Amino acid sequence: MEFKDYYAILGVERGASDDDIRHAYRKLARKYHPDVSKEADAEQRMRDVNEAYQVLKDAEKRAAYDNLAAGVSAGGDFRPPPGWDSGFEFRGASPGDDAAFSEFFSSLFGGRRRPGGAHMRARGEDHHAAIEIDLEDALHGAMRDISLRSIGHDERGQPRLQERTLNVRIPAGVREGQFIRLAGQGMPGMGGGENGDLYLEIRFKPHPRYRVEGRDLYMSLPVAPWEAMLGASVRAPTPGGPVDVTVPANSRNGRKLRLKGRGIPGDPAGDLYLVLEVVWPPADTEKARQAYRNLAQEVPFDPRRNLGD
Amino acid sequence: MKTVAVTATLVGSEKPLDAGELARACGAEEAWVLQLVKVGIIEASGRPADWRFDSGALQRALAARSLQRDFDASLDAAALILDMSNEIRRLKTKLRVLGVDVNAI
Repeated sequence: MEFKDYYAILGVERGASDDDIRHAYRKLARKYHPDVSKEADAEQRMRDVNEAYQVLKDAEKRAAYDNLAAGVSAGGDFRPPPGWDSGFEFRGASPGDDAAFSEFFSSLFGGRRRPGGAHMRARGEDHHAAIEIDLEDALHGAMRDISLRSIGHDERGQPRLQERTLNVRIPAGVREGQFIRLAGQGMPGMGGGENGDLYLEIRFKPHPRYRVEGRDLYMSLPVAPWEAMLGASVRAPTPGGPVDVTVPANSRNGRKLRLKGRGIPGDPAGDLYLVLEVVWPPADTEKARQAYRNLAQEVPFDPRRNLGD
Repeated sequence: MKTVAVTATLVGSEKPLDAGELARACGAEEAWVLQLVKVGIIEASGRPADWRFDSGALQRALAARSLQRDFDASLDAAALILDMSNEIRRLKTKLRVLGVDVNAI
């Protein structure tokens, strides 16, 4: 079990003031902001920093966390209370699919407690979090169990972590940055008020083959020089199964072939673009070298003729 | 621990949020949504009661909220930061689509 030391993540002392915590957060948020950071693990670091800040900036959450942390330093053998394992995170619950919801956004802990006394009727706060899904889930739709962790209170009013699992349908056609709204899954209401809602922001895990822009997918399609120059019919894998595509004659490297409607489904559905990547056979045998020599001899060609002297 | 089946709706053109729902989703008041529209962080037309917001608006509103709360940014500054952030993301997506490793350049 990995215990996350939020104080260490922010680089502050255990007794740090709210000001210290805020300043440390702001510095790190700039350092690891995914829009600007060049650090390889910026996104993960940013998540940790956000998570640590969401907890430590809030007196109640900080107290709940300090209680847990005390268990770690006192005994050395940390026995976590139920519902606490590897920090706060979503987790895919289907067997063999552990990574499906491995990402966590601490925003679950965000938001402010609504002011008001016990006899006030109030709707619970809405919460939001981000989940990472596979592109395939957006293409075909999927059912996913996600575990959520939040701060609750025990019978003595002490804050404690509680966990619950939701079985959520990911609709086909969902795009990156869209939100799924789960009615009634936010904070409980008070005095008979309605529960808040939970908003899950969709993010895609990087796909080994496809790159995504909105509803459109892009995929590199390697072709031999003669296929690109003479034209050819080649077989290309697509999300809906392999298709035969015609590579027009005199295609240049980087030419895009559009397969209409074969991107992320929707109205209208996205397109799949095959980006031609001309791959030259290596000249690593005498036969190959001779073939290149023949080409040089038979086809007068100066790629630098437009450069001038 | 029991598993709960829940109804999920996609925030989009079919099921948009109204101003009150957008405010609640961000832990804010409806007057704050009016301010967002006024500075142009999110767009809306017609009377506030008819305003409808999609996922993109929710994303921007949440980001504006955290810039305000965590960085003491004014809404005007938040608007500028969000515009620049959007442009960076758009360009990075373009580069990725072209097969460029964004972190290597």
